[in-house]
Amino acid sequence: MLLQAWQVDLTEGRYLLSGASDGSAAVYDIQHTTDYDGGLIAKHKNLFVVDKQHNHGHKFAISTAIWYPIDTGLFITGSFDHHVKVWDTNMIQVVMDFKMPGKVYGTAMSSIATAHMLIATGSADVQVRLCDIASGAFTHTLSGHRDGVMSLEWSTSSEWILMTGGCDGAIRFWDIRRAGCFCVLDQSRSQLGRRPPFSQGTPKRVLEDFIASTVSTGKSSFEKTPVSQKRMPVGNGKKQLTTSRKNQNVSGGPSTQRLHPGMSSSHNRATAHYGAVTGLRATSDGMYLLSSGSDSRLRLWDIESGCNTLVNFEAMRLQTSKAIQLAAFQDSSLVFVPSMASVKAYDMWSGTNLGTFRGHYELVNCCYFNLQDQELYTGSNDRQILVWSPSIPAVTVMEEDDKKGQTLSTDRDNWSD
Amino acid sequence: MAETSRLAGTKRGRGDEEIGADSNSNADSDPRQALGLENNLTFSDTLVALQMMRSQFPSVEKVTIQPFILQSQLYSSVKDRTQVDRDLESLKKEKVLRVFKLSTGQDDHAIMFMEDYLKQMASSVKRFEKEKQHDLEVFEWFKTYVMESKLDVCIAHQELCSLLSHGGEVTDRHVTLLISAGLLTRQLIDPNMYWFAIPNIGSILKGLSQGRKELLSLLNRRKYKEMPLAPLEKKRLRLSPLDMRFHLRDLIGSGHLKSLQTPAGIIVRVAKD
Repeated sequence: MLLQAWQVDLTEGRYLLSGASDGSAAVYDIQHTTDYDGGLIAKHKNLFVVDKQHNHGHKFAISTAIWYPIDTGLFITGSFDHHVKVWDTNMIQVVMDFKMPGKVYGTAMSSIATAHMLIATGSADVQVRLCDIASGAFTHTLSGHRDGVMSLEWSTSSEWILMTGGCDGAIRFWDIRRAGCFCVLDQSRSQLGRRPPFSQGTPKRVLEDFIASTVSTGKSSFEKTPVSQKRMPVGNGKKQLTTSRKNQNVSGGPSTQRLHPGMSSSHNRATAHYGAVTGLRATSDGMYLLSSGSDSRLRLWDIESGCNTLVNFEAMRLQTSKAIQLAAFQDSSLVFVPSMASVKAYDMWSGTNLGTFRGHYELVNCCYFNLQDQELYTGSNDRQILVWSPSIPAVTVMEEDDKKGQTLSTDRDNWSD
Repeated sequence: MAETSRLAGTKRGRGDEEIGADSNSNADSDPRQALGLENNLTFSDTLVALQMMRSQFPSVEKVTIQPFILQSQLYSSVKDRTQVDRDLESLKKEKVLRVFKLSTGQDDHAIMFMEDYLKQMASSVKRFEKEKQHDLEVFEWFKTYVMESKLDVCIAHQELCSLLSHGGEVTDRHVTLLISAGLLTRQLIDPNMYWFAIPNIGSILKGLSQGRKELLSLLNRRKYKEMPLAPLEKKRLRLSPLDMRFHLRDLIGSGHLKSLQTPAGIIVRVAKD
């Protein structure tokens, strides 16, 4: 049973929800160990498992598992059987079920949302769908990608902004209150360093509509917020529209798409990676976005300017067919990337490899760094979740139960479950 | 004289410390440089590294091609990769060099100095002039309008036509001519986008991928999958017209091989993960 995705809950940092490829989801308490293996290695048993035998369980592999961001009473799983299910944790029952048109690759909920409870789901279909828990229906579809959507991430600074990475290699920014995406990240647009130099008044930039950012006038007047839109002089607005149109790369003839000001056309074919975008992670201050692609590159983007900061993370090989979960921490400038059978840690600003965690025997799919306890959890295809911690030299192991209730390899007394 | 004949075995290692050295006769002044790659593995600055590697480009017998450098070679030669990326970006903007995406791998890029590229373009256009007599002005337009303004690795069909039309009326035949000259290549995923390409590079690229495979299999066959750099560098690759040092820099930079300092010198090992 191969581990595909997980999340530690955001409220307490205590429960780890994991989804596996046999359709089962399990919850672990990471702060309490259930027994010790040989006196040094702590083992954690799962609190409960939901598998195929559950009458509403998923039938195929679970590709994504997230907690409801407000509390641990609900969790959401998405699977290759085209369903996204919302579960009640205490009753272990399905509360809501959404059927998607294709295999579900990823789901995300905004952790700072106060006005909506939307689950953004990406599937093999080109459209991103937003499902509403409150009403039980789909509220939006976001179209613009040209292939399936593999990774999604809500902005950490605004509850209305969603970032999606698709199998076509593009990363798009959506403001869900408007129709269409307002920014497509292009890997050829780059800036040197963390912040763009002030003097570059770039007329070729795609317009950005950034809420909650400072309204700046003068040189960087290409940014506008909806409040100040009326105050913008008309001439200025027109000039920006024509430059945005020039940048659209409308292909194949004069068919123009009516664009709203600030919107990016779906014809915009800028790619962020040469392959599919397999993982997205935003930093907690909402200024930078880390993206990993199937071209085995990791890129750091400055969200405000939409530019590639050209930080080169040293050579790594990333798995190309599945989404991976990255972990990024700006306070300590660390990035953890699952790279084949190991996890590599990089410095975020210089891209140097700080260390490699080798402990798994098979492909590592997901990693999560618990900032409170300073522990790294890694899950892989070898059915193990390993916990890496700096203070204790031995590594603690959380073993997965497979359906028959046996643990792997060890012949410990496991009758205590 | 005896000295130069001894150094003749390490054909490229000598005399290249002078920038832009085309003469290779005065190497016997410094026997240290006979070690070749061992001492010249890393450089301090991107532009210095580029110029060094350009002068070290192996000469290929059958095809005349101007020197180009692979981006992975640059990564193995300069310590800080982020700085390399940023320097490349600013050199691109200053039009000192151009970057091309190669078809030999997912992230392979070749860097060529602008004057070399223009020379390469001129030689491929010359061969064209012998065959066809009309529509050749498109090459001039390409050089003047497209090369000066479009600094990326790819270009869309619409933009290409609009840039070329600064020179005159553009028809599809013009674009076909550019493609057959080897200056543009269609993208496989997107019929409206073109990659910029280096003309006449096909056989070299084939040699590149075959040489990579041969070098990796050479090291993989050994018991511990490693070999000291000095004897490794003297080997000749059967399938590739490019020399061993070219391939070594490329594979170390792309992460397939690792180079380690040991008391006995540098050892090259196949990277495990």
